[in-house]
Amino acid sequence: MNDTWTPRIVVFQCQYSLYCEADQKWMDTQLPPHIKLIKVPCTGRISPLFVLNAIQGGADGILVSGCQPEKCHFKEGNLGARRQLDEFRRFLTYLGMEEERIRFAWIDLSERGRIQQELADLEETIRTIGPIRRLVTRAIPVGEKL
Amino acid sequence: MNQLTFAIRQEAARILEENVVDVVIGFEVGTLPLKAQPAFITRKEEAEKLVYNGFCQNNLAAYLTRRPKEERIGIICRGCESRAVRALVIEHQHDRDKLYLIGVPCTGIIDWRKIEREVGENTLQAVEEGDEVIVTTRDGEHRFQRVDVLHDSCKRCLHPNPVGADIVLGDPLPEGDPERAWAPVLEFEALPPEERYAYFVQEAERCIRCYACREACPMCYCTECFVDHTTPRWAESMITPSGTQAWHIIRAFHQTGRCVSCGACERACPMDIKMTYLVDKLSYDMVQQYGFEVGASDEEQPPFAAFTLDDRNRFVR
Repeated sequence: MNDTWTPRIVVFQCQYSLYCEADQKWMDTQLPPHIKLIKVPCTGRISPLFVLNAIQGGADGILVSGCQPEKCHFKEGNLGARRQLDEFRRFLTYLGMEEERIRFAWIDLSERGRIQQELADLEETIRTIGPIRRLVTRAIPVGEKL
Repeated sequence: MNQLTFAIRQEAARILEENVVDVVIGFEVGTLPLKAQPAFITRKEEAEKLVYNGFCQNNLAAYLTRRPKEERIGIICRGCESRAVRALVIEHQHDRDKLYLIGVPCTGIIDWRKIEREVGENTLQAVEEGDEVIVTTRDGEHRFQRVDVLHDSCKRCLHPNPVGADIVLGDPLPEGDPERAWAPVLEFEALPPEERYAYFVQEAERCIRCYACREACPMCYCTECFVDHTTPRWAESMITPSGTQAWHIIRAFHQTGRCVSCGACERACPMDIKMTYLVDKLSYDMVQQYGFEVGASDEEQPPFAAFTLDDRNRFVR
């Protein structure tokens, strides 16, 4: 892959999942332009349609960031989401998408800086597998910004 | 008239006469050969209209959610229909006390497309005789072995016997072979990703968005489907690649852990699009991941509704 290509990444983030204020501030203000942040009230709000829409619109990678099982603000929203989204990833893989494109980060209270690490890891993986080709069916925005 | 039809007519007449139910949902002779059509019988004299044979291709459980909730319904249930009824009862779509299930062990549904491909479009008459299907056309008589013209979903049927029926007419049949049932999924999964995607695109792009699959499906009962939403529009409703692919992916995904693999969607499709390979994968995963099979029990919730904290260590990271 050429060096000028930057992967487009979409982050679905539960608004309660980053317990560390500095991390949340970084996410809100200092995200690089090729990463799009979408905050949701809970990972349970993420319909598989959201993920599919992002992929069809040309997102190369997707990070779903949510809370650990016992730590859900709404008691069990993330439990349902984990079952659904995990299966959805398997289903898209069945249809020919690379499994690594969707990544989950279930973040605990103490894990400061984990989100930056996860984003870097995802970006590195995406760089090795290249831009998304399958399942992209809509016009991709020009430039690196989503 | 076969014995089963006779038994069904008798039973339907009996439950209507004894006022056990308000309506019996079954099949009657359709206007075209090879296609029986659903019938709604409300008077016992009309029970004579009922028929049962391999040409009954609808899943009658689909009508359950389209009838008033307080209605007492008698319904002819084959294996897949009885499991769909169970799933619908679990999802509180109808009261089990108000249902009377007339169970019929099913020997499989005959795929009229397979016959039409062989004999052309001029079928005049079609009858079943034991293991044979005899089709009369203008050119003469054609004989088919029943197993050769069964619908694909019926060929790999796992549970031909009705579950939880109030009465079972006919002799029980042997259960299906899981290996045969899951073979298409595993074969498809073994293909390289490009080929899998190419196949999916090829199937999805023929879609004309008539939603016949949705209407034929017993488990598709949402008052407003996600594709009918206009604000926000979740998926394009035009026949664009993005719209048809989203429809096929999400329609299948909404059936996760609920699909009874009856194949009614494929039989209903006017474009002959293959779609059971999608939801079969999801059903396969539900068996593998959660040991869940639709209709296996009459109280177990589908996996996406039954999450608990026991999932804690299921998904790493």
